[in-house]
Amino acid sequence: MTGEDPGPLIRLFGLTGGRARPQGEMFDLVAIVTTVFGARPPADLQPEHHAVLALCRRPKPVADVAAHLRLPVNITRVILGDLRREGLVGIERPRPAAQTIDERIYREVLDGLRSL
Amino acid sequence: MGYAASEPGTTAVAPALAIKILVAGGFGVGKTTMVGTISEIRPLHTEELLSDRGVGVDDTSGVEEKITTTVALDFGRITIREGLWLYLFGTPGQDRFWFMWDELALGALGAVVLADTRRLQDCFPAVDYFEQRGIPFVVGVNCFEGARRYDPDKVRRALGLNPSIPIVLCDVRERASVKEVLTTLVTYAVEGP
Repeated sequence: MTGEDPGPLIRLFGLTGGRARPQGEMFDLVAIVTTVFGARPPADLQPEHHAVLALCRRPKPVADVAAHLRLPVNITRVILGDLRREGLVGIERPRPAAQTIDERIYREVLDGLRSL
Repeated sequence: MGYAASEPGTTAVAPALAIKILVAGGFGVGKTTMVGTISEIRPLHTEELLSDRGVGVDDTSGVEEKITTTVALDFGRITIREGLWLYLFGTPGQDRFWFMWDELALGALGAVVLADTRRLQDCFPAVDYFEQRGIPFVVGVNCFEGARRYDPDKVRRALGLNPSIPIVLCDVRERASVKEVLTTLVTYAVEGP
C-alpha cells in the first residue's frame, strides 16, 4: 500500500495541485453528487473531471465516485470541490438517516432487503 | 451552484438517498466477508490518504503537511431502486483510525457489531463507541465453523448489553443470514426497541 512506485502519487499531485484535502466543506461519503444539467465544462478539465461529470448524470454518492475513479476519497473530494466551484456539479449534504427515512422508504428498504 | 438540475425526462421523484450502515468489530471477525456476501458489487476498496496532522501526531510544526500513510476503506452497495441505496462501510480495525469512525458514523442509520465468541472482548470498543454516541446497533454473533454456538443471553451478559439491543446469530458467508442481520438492524433503528 505504501507506494514503491511514485507514479500514481505524482499523478495525484497533478490532479489536485498538491492538495490533500478539499478547500472548505468536507463532503460526506454518502453526499449525493449530481452533474449540473447544461453546464459547460471548461476545455482544460482532466480526464478524471470528465469521468465524474459523465458518471454523475445520474446522482451518485461520493463513495461511489471515488470507487469508480479508483482514487482515494480525499483526492476525490478535492476534485469534487473543484467541480462544484466551477458550477459543474451539485453536492447535496445528506441529512441524518433517522430524519430522512419515512414510513415509505422504510418499507421500501425492508422489502428490498428481503427480496435480495 | 449548491443544487443540481434534474435530468430531462425524469419525473419529479424523491431526491436520491444513500443510507449508511456501518459494519464494525474486531480484526478478522468477518466484516469484509459480510459486506461481500450481500453487496451487489464486489466490495469496493478505496484508500484514504492520511497526513501526519490527520492522525493527530502533529509534532512536526512548521513542516509541510505530508502524506504518510493510507487506510483501506471497504464498502458495498445494495440498490433498493434507482436513487435509493444502502451503503455498508466496514470500519477500519486499527485504533489509530478512530477519527475515521466519526466521519463514517455521522448520519448513519446504524451499525452491525460483529462478534466472534472466541474473542468476544474484541468487539468491546465498537459496542462502547456506538453506545456512547447513541447510534443504533445490533450485535451479529458470527458462528464460525467450529466455534461454539453461544446462547445469545450469555453474549448479552458478557458484553453488558442493554436487553433491548438485538443479538442475531449469523454466518456472514450466508446471504440469507446477512439479510436477517440487516433487516433486524433497519427495523430496530427505525422502530426502536
